[in-house]
Amino acid sequence: MGEPKINDQHIEESQPNRFKRFMKWLWTDYSVIIAFLIMFVVAAFMSPRFLELGNLLNIVMQVSIIGIIALGMTVIMLSGGLDLSVGSVLALVGVLTIMALNATGSITMALLAALLAGPMVGLLNGLMIAKGRIASFIATLGMMAGARSIALYLADGGSMSGEVMAFANISNSDLGMIDVPIIIFIVMTALVYILMHKTRFGRYVYAIGSNEKSARLSAINVEKMKLAIYSLGGLMVSVAAIIETSRLNSISSSSSGQLYELDAIAAVIIGGTRMTGGRGKVIGTFFGVLILGILNNMMNLMNVSPHLQGFVKGLIIIIAVVFQKRE
Amino acid sequence: MALLEMQNINKSFNQVPVLHDVHLEVDQGEIHALLGENGAGKSTLMNILGGIHQPDSGTIKVNGQSVQMTTPKVSQHHGISFIHQELNLVSDLKVYENMFLGQELRKPYGFLDVKEMCRQTEEILTKLGVHIDPQAEVRDLGTSYKQMIEISRALLHKSNIIIMDEPTTALSDSEVERLFELMRQLKQDGISIIYISHKLKEVKSICDRMTVLRDGYVVHTGPLEGQSLDQITTYMVGKSVSEDRLVSHAHTDEVVLSVDHLTLEGFYHDVSFRIKRGEIVGFTGLAGDGRTELFESLFGYRQNFQGDVQINGQSVHLNHPKKAVRAGLGYVPKDRKENAIIQDMDVVQNMSISSLGHFEKNGFINHKIEHKTFMNYKDQLNIKANNPKENIDKLSGGNQQKVMIARWLELNTDIIIFDNPTQGIDVGAKQEIYQHIIQLAEQGKAVIILSSEAPEMMKVCHHVYVMYQGEIVGSFDGSEATEDNILSYATGSKKEAVSVG
Repeated sequence: MGEPKINDQHIEESQPNRFKRFMKWLWTDYSVIIAFLIMFVVAAFMSPRFLELGNLLNIVMQVSIIGIIALGMTVIMLSGGLDLSVGSVLALVGVLTIMALNATGSITMALLAALLAGPMVGLLNGLMIAKGRIASFIATLGMMAGARSIALYLADGGSMSGEVMAFANISNSDLGMIDVPIIIFIVMTALVYILMHKTRFGRYVYAIGSNEKSARLSAINVEKMKLAIYSLGGLMVSVAAIIETSRLNSISSSSSGQLYELDAIAAVIIGGTRMTGGRGKVIGTFFGVLILGILNNMMNLMNVSPHLQGFVKGLIIIIAVVFQKRE
Repeated sequence: MALLEMQNINKSFNQVPVLHDVHLEVDQGEIHALLGENGAGKSTLMNILGGIHQPDSGTIKVNGQSVQMTTPKVSQHHGISFIHQELNLVSDLKVYENMFLGQELRKPYGFLDVKEMCRQTEEILTKLGVHIDPQAEVRDLGTSYKQMIEISRALLHKSNIIIMDEPTTALSDSEVERLFELMRQLKQDGISIIYISHKLKEVKSICDRMTVLRDGYVVHTGPLEGQSLDQITTYMVGKSVSEDRLVSHAHTDEVVLSVDHLTLEGFYHDVSFRIKRGEIVGFTGLAGDGRTELFESLFGYRQNFQGDVQINGQSVHLNHPKKAVRAGLGYVPKDRKENAIIQDMDVVQNMSISSLGHFEKNGFINHKIEHKTFMNYKDQLNIKANNPKENIDKLSGGNQQKVMIARWLELNTDIIIFDNPTQGIDVGAKQEIYQHIIQLAEQGKAVIILSSEAPEMMKVCHHVYVMYQGEIVGSFDGSEATEDNILSYATGSKKEAVSVG
């Protein structure tokens, strides 16, 4: 039959052919990196200040919180779900963290409270979605309203400040030149990358997002996985909340985390993850986050009116998705 | 002069030639069978005719006029309709809305002319001798009726060549008969049909001539009259395939699975049976007989059923596939695309997804072991995959199914359930799959096969159960089962008190 012929062709593949294939692979799998490079070059030409190291670090610093949330969002969206509650949950976790900090005076207890609260809210999301069979959009929309409301109630609608000054050191110290939030963001990216590409958990997430019924019939415990996935999303929000709260040693129950869900989802989409799950990459999200950062930075450097910035951002998101449609 | 001529068609994908100088001629008013194994080039040829792909070289003539099928629309304009295996109907719309989808009739001010559309729909349906209310919702119709609607749509477009790709896969025998009746009628009206199917018996009963493709070459073309099934098979695979019964002699007296009085309201009722180590047992019946639901329940996919299940003498409560696997049950589902394959994953990952624990080292997946294991199965099962890292949906149906079998072989469960294991698979690969099933039995596994194809049952099973409306109505020894016998039980015309043991 014809098979051996085909094999030969694979082996004897010529050099330019392989290059073409490499470029095609780069384009389909990592078009976000190309988009990032283009934006980077354009930004460098448009504003000389852009390339200053301080400015570059500043960009990463500014996106680190959204970035960490977007990592969790990537996992959730790869499984075919969505989490609209991240912004509200960030405010709630922040409030609880400050309360624990002020009540115990211990930073450890504050961190513990934060790292427990996020996953618990996430688990609740997971329970509604997996056991209650509620669409993730609806379940987390409910959680979005609920978590914000409880945060407002606990903080009496206002801001809460930490009474232990050392708590602010978390976000405001650095290792050499690099701020701690940046390091946390990069370490988190690496951890989620390993989780998604080197472990069973990651495989299962892709399988569920690609075809939930097949996944279940392949003896994957889909319900348990969903609990884990949304809890992980919650954990990422916890980490983001710690950074956010520690930055000014305070949290606003009304405005903190406002619209973070949209930025996080935008970063994931720009990063090439499919809305319905099953396809996408953690690295894509990382660069998606950086693209958002460069965009904000460029508009500030070029004095674009803050009222117009949303328009430009929206435009870029839509353009990014249009380009990715060409698979 | 032929109504349709395709001459010297060549086509390559990524420098891999799929069609070599292919000729196809279809006369007016004939039913022409296009035969060949999966991957022989049938779909490519039809996609070229349908305007989906462009040939690298060659000409297409309709009514003697050379035409270029640049888009599906052009092809339709030349009177060609393509009825795909997966029906192209919108189930949320009504019958007449589906018929006129994309070319709705309108009144002068732009409002839909529902009355006229219904009238025309009714007219065509009546002509075909089918009684469907044009206002009925498509979702409420059976598969055979949906097929009728697709055919009616082709007639509405005034098509004179209809391509049917595996139209009978989802149909019961009586529905197939109805379809054939209709095809004969179309033929009398001068409409030509290109009929693609793996079911050679059906092909022989309905088609006039055939063109057989093998590896992209036309290996035979001519009338079907006087050709034996064996001969046709030989054309397709290039060697003869035996129709004989394959028997495993490994079965013992040790019961591995016993099921007592299993009931799930609305699906199946009071089902009991036993299966021994090394035994191959078949369950057959018509569509809707409840066998799939029965085994989905056993596998833990459906819950809330009543009755007692024992595996290796131990009572088990299976409410999740994961528990079923732990208890020693494996399940290769039907409808690969919906139930088994994970489209976004590559071939290796599809093999390993159910048994990732076997490939882990310190909690991380070891890609080398994973790859090596796959290569073993690739040799063992003769899986044709050029690149294990390519997406599973790039493989042909037979090879996909082999990957699914590899998935369950790796789990190594005592009992394996195959639901419709040879669905949409060509003759050569079918034979290989039967052989693997027999090997499994010889290794001491208990195998259950669900299928609506009686010959398949008779070929490999030690024992055959026939189901009708959720009950086991007949039970035969594999060597005694005949097609007629199975059919008379499956249609409910015969019923016996089954003694199980």
